[in-house]
Amino acid sequence: MSEAVALSEQTLHGLYRDHRSWLESWLQRRLGNRWDAADLSQDTFLRVLASPQVLEELREPRAYLLTVGKRLLVNFHKRRSLERAYLDALAAMPEALAPSPEQRWLLLETLQALDELLDGLAPQVRRAFLWSQLEGLGYADIAGRLQVSERTVKRYMAQAYEHCLLVES
Amino acid sequence: MIRASNPEARQLARTAASWLALLDSGRASAEDLQRLEHWRAADPRHEQIWQRAEGLRQRLRTVPPTLAMACLDRPATSRRTLLKRGLALALLVPGGWLLSQQLPLAVWRADLRTAVGERRGVRLADGSVLQLNTATAVDLDLEQHRLTLVEGEIALSVSRAQPLTVDFGLGQVTVGQAQVCLRRDADRCRICVLQGTVQVRPAQGMALALQYGDQLTLYTDGSGAMGRFDPRAPDWRDGMLSVDNQPLGQFLREISRYRPGVLHWEPGLESLRVTGTFQLDDTDRILALLTASLPVTVQSRTRYWTTLVARKQSA
Repeated sequence: MSEAVALSEQTLHGLYRDHRSWLESWLQRRLGNRWDAADLSQDTFLRVLASPQVLEELREPRAYLLTVGKRLLVNFHKRRSLERAYLDALAAMPEALAPSPEQRWLLLETLQALDELLDGLAPQVRRAFLWSQLEGLGYADIAGRLQVSERTVKRYMAQAYEHCLLVES
Repeated sequence: MIRASNPEARQLARTAASWLALLDSGRASAEDLQRLEHWRAADPRHEQIWQRAEGLRQRLRTVPPTLAMACLDRPATSRRTLLKRGLALALLVPGGWLLSQQLPLAVWRADLRTAVGERRGVRLADGSVLQLNTATAVDLDLEQHRLTLVEGEIALSVSRAQPLTVDFGLGQVTVGQAQVCLRRDADRCRICVLQGTVQVRPAQGMALALQYGDQLTLYTDGSGAMGRFDPRAPDWRDGMLSVDNQPLGQFLREISRYRPGVLHWEPGLESLRVTGTFQLDDTDRILALLTASLPVTVQSRTRYWTTLVARKQSA
């Protein structure tokens, strides 16, 4: 093990020892329960571990942990709300049309990946893209629903595609 | 998720994206398609990003549309509120509802009423939240834990274990730690469960429990119909009316509820179809939108007397 990595681990241990319970109680206030808070705090430290080069020069460790922690918290809530929407939609579906139990997890994972991919798009743009791709609506129909011009719809579509294609593969 | 930020990658993605947007428009000419072929063949990186785009489109085609729409187009409000601690009340009441400003905070007994086109919300003394849709009248007696829907439509959210009983003429519904939407029309009543479980006791027939997503309609002749609805679709509580392939006549009758004055239409228009999501606050605008998508014109004699007629074929 190289010296640099050993040093990082040393710093991480210190960081963990000094700030873990503080971070966990911060997360717990936002999540309302200990278990999710403990999970997210672990994830936060794992993220920090994955970028050891920062640790050496960490001057405000709590501010840094909070930045990472908040990002994870937002993702956590997005996943939760997607899961809820998914379960609700499944429950509302006629039995015959609902996916089989083994398809359900795969489908949820696909939807989560798509949700993450589309994250950050303006709501109108996202909606136009979904209507076009999922429901097969034409630009004229989308324009009518969104009360914008067809030209704008085309611009939205290009924006959405560009956003998705910029993800590093 | 990491997104490429170098100018070259951006430019490449932008070019591919504008091709894709053109293709999806259905208006690409044979010449356009030929130019696209050229572009793809000109550089392996072009072809590579094109393949990625194809992969994305493929993935979007494999998910069941209804399910995927419900998940990926879920209401933004719930995502936003979830970030703010998932406070139940905030979730139930959209931002535009200024509860405490409209009535004293603690309402125990009251006769509440809304005018045509008006909507308002009230926070009750027991912490429950009551929203009144257009042209609605409610009598409230919290000491008796009772509420009577005289006419119109309400949404009621009870967060306490102590239930509230709502009388709606054709029966009663008991709501405890649940949220319901109730609508009383001349010949029928409709109960929709937005959260939790409620007990319904029809004036005629057996008592029954309704769950989240259930919708029960009771008619004055004693009959009833059970169904399901989509609790996540935007509705009057969001100031919206969302319809999918609805007959125009039915749609206009719904719009009339929110519109002072008289709204007429030619019988021939009854079965035209309407799809879309409309803002209830401006029914004039809704009618204007209809003329843009359907072969109809609006004739207004006065602000309160409006008729829709079939558009004459011109030229």
